[in-house]
Amino acid sequence: MLGKLTWSAIPLDQPIPLFAGGGAFMIVLAVIAWAILSGRMGYLWREWITSVDHKRIGVMYVLLGLVMLLRGFVDAIMMRGQQAFAYHNNGFLPPEHYDQIFSAHGTIMIFFAAMPIMIGLMNFVVPLQLGIRDVAFPTLNSTSLWLTATGALLVNLSLIVGEFARTGWLPYPPLSELPYSPTVGVDYYDWSLLISGVGTLMTGINFVTTILKMRAPGMSYLRMPMFCWTALCSNLLIVAAFPILTATLAMLTLDRYLGFHFFTNTDGGNMMMFINLIWAWGHPEVYILVLPAFGIFSEVISTFSGKPLFGYRSMVLATLGICIVSFVVWLHHFFTMGAGGDVNAVFGIASSIIAVMTGVKIYNWLFTMYGGIIRFTTPMLYSIGFIVTFALGGMTGVLLAVVPADFLLHNSLFLVAHFHNVIIGGVLFAGLAGITYWFPKAFGFRLDERWGQAAFWCQLVGFYMVFVPLYVAGLLGMTRRLQHYDVAAWHPYVIAAGFGIFVLIGAAICQVIQIVVSIRDREKLRDELGDPWDGRSLEWSTTSPPPVFNFAVLPNVSGEEPYWEIKRRAILSQQLAAEPDYEAIELPRNSPTGFITAFFSTITGFALIWHIWWLVLLGIVGAYAVFVWFAWRDVEEYVIPAEEVARLERERRVIRQRWLDEHKQLARVAA
Amino acid sequence: MSSTTDTLFQAVEPRLDPYRLGRRVRTDHGGDGHFEPTGHGEGGPASKRVVVAYGFWIFILSDFVMFSAFFAAHAVLQSATAGGPSGPELFSPTSIAIETGCLLLSSFTCGLSAVATRARSLLWTEAALLVTGLLGAVFLVLEAHDFAAMVAAGAGPQRSAFLSSFFSVVGLHGLHVTAGLLWLGTMMAQVFAKGFRPNILRRLLCFNLFWHALDIIWVALFTIVYLIGLG
Amino acid sequence: MSDHDRNVGDIGPGVMEDTQESLRGAVFSYSIGLVLSVLLTGAAFTIGYSGLVWRPGLPSALIVLAVAQIGVHLVFFLHITTDPDNTNNVLALAFGVLIVVLLIGGSVWIMEWLNYRMMIPTPGGMGHGGM
Repeated sequence: MLGKLTWSAIPLDQPIPLFAGGGAFMIVLAVIAWAILSGRMGYLWREWITSVDHKRIGVMYVLLGLVMLLRGFVDAIMMRGQQAFAYHNNGFLPPEHYDQIFSAHGTIMIFFAAMPIMIGLMNFVVPLQLGIRDVAFPTLNSTSLWLTATGALLVNLSLIVGEFARTGWLPYPPLSELPYSPTVGVDYYDWSLLISGVGTLMTGINFVTTILKMRAPGMSYLRMPMFCWTALCSNLLIVAAFPILTATLAMLTLDRYLGFHFFTNTDGGNMMMFINLIWAWGHPEVYILVLPAFGIFSEVISTFSGKPLFGYRSMVLATLGICIVSFVVWLHHFFTMGAGGDVNAVFGIASSIIAVMTGVKIYNWLFTMYGGIIRFTTPMLYSIGFIVTFALGGMTGVLLAVVPADFLLHNSLFLVAHFHNVIIGGVLFAGLAGITYWFPKAFGFRLDERWGQAAFWCQLVGFYMVFVPLYVAGLLGMTRRLQHYDVAAWHPYVIAAGFGIFVLIGAAICQVIQIVVSIRDREKLRDELGDPWDGRSLEWSTTSPPPVFNFAVLPNVSGEEPYWEIKRRAILSQQLAAEPDYEAIELPRNSPTGFITAFFSTITGFALIWHIWWLVLLGIVGAYAVFVWFAWRDVEEYVIPAEEVARLERERRVIRQRWLDEHKQLARVAA
Repeated sequence: MSSTTDTLFQAVEPRLDPYRLGRRVRTDHGGDGHFEPTGHGEGGPASKRVVVAYGFWIFILSDFVMFSAFFAAHAVLQSATAGGPSGPELFSPTSIAIETGCLLLSSFTCGLSAVATRARSLLWTEAALLVTGLLGAVFLVLEAHDFAAMVAAGAGPQRSAFLSSFFSVVGLHGLHVTAGLLWLGTMMAQVFAKGFRPNILRRLLCFNLFWHALDIIWVALFTIVYLIGLG
Repeated sequence: MSDHDRNVGDIGPGVMEDTQESLRGAVFSYSIGLVLSVLLTGAAFTIGYSGLVWRPGLPSALIVLAVAQIGVHLVFFLHITTDPDNTNNVLALAFGVLIVVLLIGGSVWIMEWLNYRMMIPTPGGMGHGGM
């Protein structure tokens, strides 16, 4: 009746996952109960859960990412703790548990923390920067969000029902095949990623279409903000790479469920084929993560240096170059697998070449800052921290691209330190910078600057304290994922890394305090104007938060930094542009399609994991029924009448005119 | 910031868009001397039909990439027969030829349905769609029959890696055809119930793209999976 | 977004409204596509199952026929042309084709070298030489 699911699936004998998972679900239930009992459920359902507005969806993505970042960070604390203790003893985590922790850490951090944060920021910002009202396919956007949430839910469910994979974040066969992983762990991984992968692919399609086919009038390709260029390239990579992930995990799933022989030990299976295919996805994936990060830094650095981005065209070329070349380097993840010198050489050289384009970008950022008037706000601090840290991480990457060196360093802690270096220095710093930078636009008030800077310094120092010792331990030969070890030379470095974790815990605490304090002090931190940073791109021309339709009238773009032009003109002439003719605006209606599809996907995924076949059928039929019901609706849009548009727009103009009047002295400076 | 650094950087930084890359191609529709930028989105957001068609086109390309991962696996595993039967021993040319004919013809009738839709003829649209669906169903039945025969002869996907990859890549295509037929049925119902509204037209356009793409995949499939092994 | 084409010079893929004059022309286009495809398919099956082509050259010949037929499908069924209005669609297709070539070509190249160096046995005997 219930497939493989029995009461023994609940880990009553393992206190850590039981309390962690149980506790987390208690909190979730408590939040839902509070929402219902305080009467807020209707608001949440109408305004957020069924929203197809890119701004709301972006906020929810980032929220999901931040929560999962904390969960992944807890896994990291346990891992560092285990390794710090486990010198000549077994530590406090038995191997089968430790294996699940490092697998979950990687999976959650990449798929459910980093990706959602980057995608969330792209969701919120790109349509605003392009000067349009929403993405190409708003309901599809909502579905993408909720399918990603489904994946996150399934992975976390493995804490209290069953267990997670023990294979590492990429489930190499034959370990991930049925004979060596007979439990549901790898299945949780497979289905969670197959489902959320569909969501991510749809995001890719959505944004490629939006950026290529929907921009404000006059915004040619070379007038797009840099963040939109990197968003375009990142989403092109999503469209090109995620199908490979889906295919490869599907092959593994076929092996496990139907006894196929893609990657099995016997009957002709080729285990290395998995590694080849999964990294053909895996390498573009890291560029999917880091390209939006580059875009965020382009925006932040140019805003807080008070200068336009240096070398815009070379930045565009570099980004496109990275996009293409990222598809010819994937073998550098398995130099040691034995393809031979010729193959290794080609991919090694390509991996070194791709660093050149990132170097171009770094020089452009430096030249943007040079000669500018730099304001050391939190986002700018993260940018400077990024430039130093990412350059270091990139260099260790090029070192690893040297094949003979990689033969010694493959799968050592040096590798682990390298990729954390680039991901933390690149993606995490960018995520935090971007969240701080665009938070006032989303919520109408800024984040507290002092706690933000405290968090930054803890992040920066903590990162180096944890990972520099790991670089050294790696060079001394320490392999990754060790549950215990007894080499004396490694011990001091592992201990040092353990201490560094406390500083990172401090960073997390500062981050949480920052949010609490900012909400408490929101009136003091209120962003009245809508342009708290003296921004240069179109999102800063709207109110904070923007109205649901973003722009009353789509702006006419005539230069590379459209909003900067508008601002200059307004300041010089001491008046706003003429009032446009207001028209009624049609917007897509909110829809529960995304949420309900994800609901049925969760059921289907869970049922597939536990082999509850009748429930699988129910879930699939349910999902299809939702699709048909959605496709049958007659009224797809609602109209905001011209008077309402005019009213909201005039409110915005009043605020802006008041700001102009209060800052008359700027006209003298600018003239 | 001094004016010398200003001019220095202005000299260093190339003029934006000197080759008018943002406006390279213009067409003079109607020949009235007024040139419109083409397809570069400068006229504002494109119409819904263009946006939907383009988005679906990108989806189809992503589907091609997914198929190519299975093709790659098949290319690597095609000789991994583990002592079991290989391709030429198993495939019947007649069956494959009939399946190919069915799918090709269905692609043609799908195109005819697009013409009928342009003419806003409900009868001929539904008729052409119906024939498309029937041909697709025949294709599926034949393929299922072939699969069953192979399994019964001990040459199922569990026999060897070659057979696993064969069943997967051909089966994935069959799965897409099945989903396509489900979609086709839904579209026929929608056209009947709602007529040729703009959103129905957009969906028919997407279905056309999908069905033709399936035939393109089949061309690659029968060439690489069925025929190349004969060499 | 309105439904009528505001961007005169932009065409979505699969749309033939602006490239064909009449319904008859459209049917003609599909018919040509069908005939060409049938010919190419017939040719592929013929050379596959008869001895007309030198065996070692068969894969190349079949691939040429397949590419030609895919081209026929793209032009006559999907109406992808080199018209400047179609540029975005062609570029997207080119990107997709690039990825497919890199993935299949790269994987085959890597795995062949791997199988050779790891001496993975093939049905013809031990994996040796032949690179």
